Amino acid sequence: MAPRTIKVDALVVGGGIAGMQSALDLADQGYQVALVEKQPSIGGKMIELSKVFPTLDCCSCITTPKMSAVAHNSNIQLFTYCDIQSVDKQGDGRFVAQVIQKPRYVDIETCTACRQCEYACPIDLPHPFDQNLGVHRAIYVPFSTAVPQKALIDIDNCILCGKCERVCPVGCVDFTQQPEELAIEATAIVLATGFEITPTDAKAEYGGGKLLNVVNALTVERLLAPTGPYGHVLRPSDGKEPDSIAYIQCAGSRDKSLGVEYCSRICCMYAIKQSMLISGALPLADIAIYYMDIRTFGKGYDQFYQTAKAMGVQFIKGKVAKITEDENQNPIVRVELIDEGSQVVERQHDMVVLSVGMVSKYDPRTIYDVNVAGDGFVDTPLTNVSPCVTSRPGVFVSGSAAGPMDIVDSIVMAGAAAAEAAAYIQATGPNGHGGGRSIAAGEEKELAHA
Amino acid sequence: MPEKHDSKAAAKAKSSPKEEEVRIGAYTCYCGGNISDVVYCEKVAEALAKLPNVVVSRTDMSMCSDAGQAKIEEDIREHGVNRVVVGACAPSLHEQTFRGTVQRAGLNPFFYHHVGLREQDSWVHHDRVAATKKAIRLMSAGIAKARLLEPLEHIRLSAEKHALVIGGGIAGLRAARDISRRGLKVTLIERSPFLGGHMAQLESIFPTEEDARTVLHGLIEEVAADPNITLYTSSELTGVRGYVGDYQVQITQQSRGVDEDVAEEAMAACTLEVPDDYNYGLTQRKVIYKAYPGCYPPTPAVDWKNIPDGKLELKMNGKKIKLENKPKTIDVKVGAIVIATGFTPYEPRKGEYGYGELPEVVTMPQFIRLLAMAPKGEELVINEKPVRNIGFIHCVGSRQIDDVHEPQPDGEVNNYCSRVCCTATLHLANDLRHRFPDLNIFDVYEDIRTYGRGHEDYYIEASENRVVFLRFHGEEPPEVVASPDDDVSPVQIKLKDYLTWGEEVEVPADLIVLAVGIMPNPVDDLINLLKVSPGTDRFLLEVHPKLRPVETAVPGIVLAGTAQGPMTIQESCAAASAAAAKVSVLLSQGLVELEPYVARVDLDLCKGSGECVEVCAYEDAITLESMTIGGKEVKRAVVSPANCAGCGACVSACPNRAIDLQGWTLGQYQSMIEAIVAEIPAVEIES
Amino acid sequence: MTDKKEDTKNRAAMLKSLREKHKETVEKTQALLKHNQSIRKQIRQAMQSGPMTVPEVAEATGLPSDRVLWHVTAMKKYDLVREVGMSGEYYQYELAQKENQ
Repeated sequence: MAPRTIKVDALVVGGGIAGMQSALDLADQGYQVALVEKQPSIGGKMIELSKVFPTLDCCSCITTPKMSAVAHNSNIQLFTYCDIQSVDKQGDGRFVAQVIQKPRYVDIETCTACRQCEYACPIDLPHPFDQNLGVHRAIYVPFSTAVPQKALIDIDNCILCGKCERVCPVGCVDFTQQPEELAIEATAIVLATGFEITPTDAKAEYGGGKLLNVVNALTVERLLAPTGPYGHVLRPSDGKEPDSIAYIQCAGSRDKSLGVEYCSRICCMYAIKQSMLISGALPLADIAIYYMDIRTFGKGYDQFYQTAKAMGVQFIKGKVAKITEDENQNPIVRVELIDEGSQVVERQHDMVVLSVGMVSKYDPRTIYDVNVAGDGFVDTPLTNVSPCVTSRPGVFVSGSAAGPMDIVDSIVMAGAAAAEAAAYIQATGPNGHGGGRSIAAGEEKELAHA
Repeated sequence: MPEKHDSKAAAKAKSSPKEEEVRIGAYTCYCGGNISDVVYCEKVAEALAKLPNVVVSRTDMSMCSDAGQAKIEEDIREHGVNRVVVGACAPSLHEQTFRGTVQRAGLNPFFYHHVGLREQDSWVHHDRVAATKKAIRLMSAGIAKARLLEPLEHIRLSAEKHALVIGGGIAGLRAARDISRRGLKVTLIERSPFLGGHMAQLESIFPTEEDARTVLHGLIEEVAADPNITLYTSSELTGVRGYVGDYQVQITQQSRGVDEDVAEEAMAACTLEVPDDYNYGLTQRKVIYKAYPGCYPPTPAVDWKNIPDGKLELKMNGKKIKLENKPKTIDVKVGAIVIATGFTPYEPRKGEYGYGELPEVVTMPQFIRLLAMAPKGEELVINEKPVRNIGFIHCVGSRQIDDVHEPQPDGEVNNYCSRVCCTATLHLANDLRHRFPDLNIFDVYEDIRTYGRGHEDYYIEASENRVVFLRFHGEEPPEVVASPDDDVSPVQIKLKDYLTWGEEVEVPADLIVLAVGIMPNPVDDLINLLKVSPGTDRFLLEVHPKLRPVETAVPGIVLAGTAQGPMTIQESCAAASAAAAKVSVLLSQGLVELEPYVARVDLDLCKGSGECVEVCAYEDAITLESMTIGGKEVKRAVVSPANCAGCGACVSACPNRAIDLQGWTLGQYQSMIEAIVAEIPAVEIES
Repeated sequence: MTDKKEDTKNRAAMLKSLREKHKETVEKTQALLKHNQSIRKQIRQAMQSGPMTVPEVAEATGLPSDRVLWHVTAMKKYDLVREVGMSGEYYQYELAQKENQ
């Protein structure tokens, strides 16, 4: 059977904040957009965060309405839980992406996300959304604000006992589902594939991921989030409320030994933000940030840094050589205090946070045939005046797929990528606007957005 | 053209709340902890459920999430809710979101009221019990208003598919091109006689090492060749009327001064010289000039701002020629306006780090020009003096601290980071190292912020290539002094160097380069004309850095580039493209929607006394018109909804209470006030 | 009715064939389930005596405290235990009334 073919103006790859914004900015101009996301829900890394700098808005307040807007925009077709297999250019210059949508084993039309299946399921699994500190079951709704808000089965961790099917009030569990092949035809592609954080076990000097109370900053985001695994800031070794917390800056950035020589841009600000939020949650806790340079460069960011200083967060210029732990699993930080005559001291903390950096997720050359730069992210050959243009005509890049950047910069770049893609669609289509797509008479949707 | 409609008649025809039972859904949002950390949201919901007409009272971790919105939709569909009140963040964030929600569920979008519990309550109070009671009061007021809500329609107007871009620097050029590439018309105005802005004054740019003017002119050529773009140089915005979709702007253009065919000759003949702003006043140029070789437009222009009386005489081929500035005005109709007015480098005060007093102290933009003019050779020679030791000082005019740094004329210090100076400094330091291998380079910094893609490489290279770094603390900025007579170098930088245990260090220098920060170009005239707002840092303010990062609070006016804050060239271009995308969203459909919060006149009460017309600050928003009522010729006030800003001045001026603001009527206010001061429903609130 | 019966039969067959196909992961997960069930049993027994902190449960059961925390977190999420205030720097948990495991 020939795969279902979807014809659109633009294919946006990645449903994180950059991809969502690019999709919305294209759709609101009247273009037909297909948004393809690997995970079962859109939202990307941002939806995992607690509150966001420098406004301290709750992250959901920014992300979830955008997720909702994507879901309800009549010009956007959303495809979650999909893998893109290949992207080729056809004779007419349009791209065709071969996509496989993985089976959820749940009928998404009828599922109401009542979660009765989840409660019935006997299998508890570490939840990557909660950095594995929390749990999900083998059948589960990815998280409380997921879009689509539908259950799925983790078939590789399922014993196929059928309990979920028996309790489901609408009969939506469907073990017969098969992977579905799709072909998406598009004039332009926007890559918004995002980033990965530096693996916590990357650095042997920092415990190689074996020290339970040495966590990465994304874990702290979950600890601070009201929907987080514990509902409180507790340390993972034993659930103690930490009194003394240290941040190690540049843990995975500006580090030759890891092959990551660049600055990850976000870590100074998120460490400062988390320090402020922890101060709010645990007013008595001591918080120290060990840093090389504080890089609070964005609009309102240096002011944010000054506020944190005034709140009593300690900023210590120092290089952390090593982290070990004592018999109570308290991390011991060995640090050279540069402002204090470069003396080397050892300090004990209840919990240490690695301010991990941003690294490239995958090799975009294989599927998208775009060049990558030395940092592993998508190359932008005209980076100064056309920062979203890649080496391949018609393929544009949005957000942190083009290197580390924070949410504000990602959103701006997402708008820029939409502008580039729109200009490309306009220029390549035979009749100007939307020319690339084949429209049957009367099929043209009203361009006004919902 | 906007249609004038009798909104009252429309409202009367449609509204039937009298007959229909009002069924209110009240929703108290946790706001991801932002509200629930202070307010007992469940108690609020419990209390609200006891109020008349409230048929559903719920809470949610985030009402604005898809799941939260789905609850509202379900309540409308399943439980017959027909008025919705959400207590959440500020209305500027999500009022639109929830209007969309109720509309999707089939209700008029204005059967919605938003209560700002976060900004008005939880973010400003600590006492949980009191904050909870206040939340109940605020919500009760919202519910009281909801009982009186009427269905309203957006004012829909056709939009000019044409945008005005203010500023011909890199951001303005980028925005103009991207708007044009979407098939919209653009009018681009630039204050100076030449395009290019500050980028034209740079040489090599990071992180690509491209030649600044080559890259810039690539874009200028595209703009110049673009039939959709009309360019006016020597031009400024001097008037604006109208509203999003239909702004009537007035542009005032100074004369170029000389005809194209004789301009070169006139420039050659001109003898009057003025400081050359292209070289930051370090050199002189003629008053008939080209900004730089290869500039665009290529025709020389007369620099009228240096000729106060607007008249210039010169001798050409033995003949006396009189040149005169005859400014002209151009009227254009546009649907949207992009502000790309850019930045100006921080100008240090006289004596700040020796600037203006010691000839060896220059700013970095000046140094870039000096270096471009310096003789080629093995040795750096500036102003005919060899330079063997050069010192850079970071954060001049940036990251200033109250009580440490002297405030700006407006009383504020520049407490922000200027973002570009660290990389620019190291980029320059490395360039100097390559060209002048024996030069001693000192870099005096607080934090090195080479954050961008490829920027850290400059830092690594500088560290590996004998650039000597010294680090000060912000509270103890370095000092620049003239050296004692016996010293070989004319000036010194004195600082406590925290890379060497806080030791007092004196760095000898032949030249000191101040890495000055970025300040917005003064745009008070635009701020007044367009009613946009600057932030405390004086840069123009966006609505929200994440939700609407390039839009101002004025519909149809967007920001591009460094008018909004310090940015690199790349970031300026990204912001400009994003601004272009917003303009396309707004105008490509040829239709814009305005909020219906405008005045309406009750013709039965209006006596045509005209106080409303007197107080109205907006043109053609309310007028007295003749009409026949009951067979009599009378004058009555009539509102043009498209021109009305909904300020309410006429409402308070009307002696007959004949005017109301739809969506915010006097009756609605009255009910809100009554609800706020009323007893709140009894609930037990734990302390 | 017979249609429904037929359907049920088909589904059972489908489940069976799926089990065959995923034999390896099903067996692996069954082992995990067994392991977790035994841990849960120990934790529940320890908590019979009333509210306890994670280190207290760890001490009573001999299980590593981080594993106890993970299981308590899981049980809390699915309403099998609930948090009941603090003892020193640790939260206390007690078994939920409705023991449905």
